[in-house]
Amino acid sequence: MVWGGRLVTRRLWLATGLSAPLGWSLAVPRLLIRREGPASLRVAAPQIRFLTGKTLEQLKNGATVSFALQVSITSSETATNFLGRTFDRFVVSYDLWEEKFKATRPGPPLREFSRLSVPACEAWCLDEIVPIPASLTPSRQFWIKLELRVEDPKEWAAIVGEPGINLNRLVELFSRPPRATQSVTETAGPLKLQDL
Amino acid sequence: MKLFLALLAGAIASAQITPVVNVNSRYVVESIEVSGHDEFNLSRSLHEEIQNLVGEYFDQSALDDLTGRIKKELHAKSVSYRISRGDQPEQVKVNFEITRRSVELNVTVPKFLYHSKQGWTGVVEGVATSGPNSVTFRLLSDDDELVERETGILARYDRKRVGSDRVGLGFQFEGYHQGWSRSTLLAEDQRLDGAPPVPNDVLSVYRTRQNFQPIVTIQLAKPLTLEAGASFERFQDQFPAARTESTNAMVNTLRYHRLLEGSDAHKQALDAGYSLRAATKILGSDFAYVRHHWNVAYTFTRDHNTVLVSFVGGVIIGQAPLFERFVLGNSSTLRGWNKYDIDPLGGSRVAHGSVEYRYRYFQIFYDAGAVWDRSEGATPRSSAGVGLRKDGFSVAVAFPIKDGRVEPVLIAGMNF
Repeated sequence: MVWGGRLVTRRLWLATGLSAPLGWSLAVPRLLIRREGPASLRVAAPQIRFLTGKTLEQLKNGATVSFALQVSITSSETATNFLGRTFDRFVVSYDLWEEKFKATRPGPPLREFSRLSVPACEAWCLDEIVPIPASLTPSRQFWIKLELRVEDPKEWAAIVGEPGINLNRLVELFSRPPRATQSVTETAGPLKLQDL
Repeated sequence: MKLFLALLAGAIASAQITPVVNVNSRYVVESIEVSGHDEFNLSRSLHEEIQNLVGEYFDQSALDDLTGRIKKELHAKSVSYRISRGDQPEQVKVNFEITRRSVELNVTVPKFLYHSKQGWTGVVEGVATSGPNSVTFRLLSDDDELVERETGILARYDRKRVGSDRVGLGFQFEGYHQGWSRSTLLAEDQRLDGAPPVPNDVLSVYRTRQNFQPIVTIQLAKPLTLEAGASFERFQDQFPAARTESTNAMVNTLRYHRLLEGSDAHKQALDAGYSLRAATKILGSDFAYVRHHWNVAYTFTRDHNTVLVSFVGGVIIGQAPLFERFVLGNSSTLRGWNKYDIDPLGGSRVAHGSVEYRYRYFQIFYDAGAVWDRSEGATPRSSAGVGLRKDGFSVAVAFPIKDGRVEPVLIAGMNF
């Protein structure tokens, strides 16, 4: 087959076919950020895979796995002081008979979704509304960082041991260095509110 | 009222943040298994609690609680559980997986007691376990079991599995220094002077005693275990000094233990044993004798009521050293009597029965039995007592039933 004056071989077709999904996945940003009304940002990460490996094995053994999520807004990529940040947590379990996942955000308010596939469950969990900090002007550059940690069952008791989620414990959890196998970190930026 | 409202608000808030998050909670538990042989090492109460979850809806918090308790009870490194589909639709199976520590060390007090006529007895034991191997080290000063006070050490190595799960191997070494009561020494003096009615088949008192005992344990069937081995024992006579004698014997013990599971309300257990020690000159023993010992115990529990019935019998044929002779009148037999008053040198024949009733922490018991020698007739004796018992700790007041006077004996301590 000749296209644009060049011979398109079967090898070229094969290489193009294989590399296209990779190129597409590289092209699509890992964090999707858009305005949600005048005072909020919606941060989603449908590309991030976290139900894998040991976590997935635990789920398929019938256990629940709890995750803690932090979305922070900073003025630079390496800044340690936050303009704003939001904490959330969710619990995932796997239905042994239906072979589908259930995700629960204990809240309050309680939100849950069942009969999810792995990608659908991951996408539902990593979809967060973040309030826009008052100090963030439309033209000011900022970065958004999403951090996900698998919770230790012992820490879980401390985090939810009081009425509501214990924010101090959550802050402490995210202040510690993450363990590679149990955390996901993704950063997007620089961004400006006026461009979103 | 404010406190109540605050607690109520807390409970409501907690309920809001701890919803049923495990989707498998709608399935019924079909079976629960504990991996390996650890199921047999669990206490009966914990075993029952585990089995009580079968037929109920899957409850993750209940299983998490049991996980912690199994870990604590077995001193395991970690305990986890896996859930899988059951054989029936909408049912799940639970399998507890236990990871043992590479080396596990436990220190316990298997026995500690005070007897107002016989004094103190104390045993401290340390056990280091690594896989199927365990090493036991015990320090003791015991004036309860035998006609002598034995003070010394016991060291033991055990391997639970040798080639097969049913076969185990053990080596035990004991080294004791003996103490004798005044009544025993007086009876010994009378014996040396040839005064009747002391039998002439009793050996002399001794200063020290050492024993080395290799043992093979074979599980013949689930409730039936056979121990077979040899005992190489030597002791240094008190008179004349520095003379060492040995009693080497073949040792065999057959044990039967069975839990007769009833309904949730009542349980029955049956324990029985027969042991045979045969000292023979083939093994280089200075003495030859055969010692038979039987014991049967039956326990019936219904709600908070427990009835225990036990029987012990024994016969020695031949000339046996004092540590082999039978004793009554201690913390478990003829409670209320002093063993040195009954027979300061022990006997070569024994028969004893006991009935005990417990309600919660309260206990009441009646013991009857006799210890005697071949050359003399048996004198039956009995005693009764009351006490309190909780978590291994016990205090009891026992009375010998005899004409004329009442002399209560106080027995207090743990694990006897």
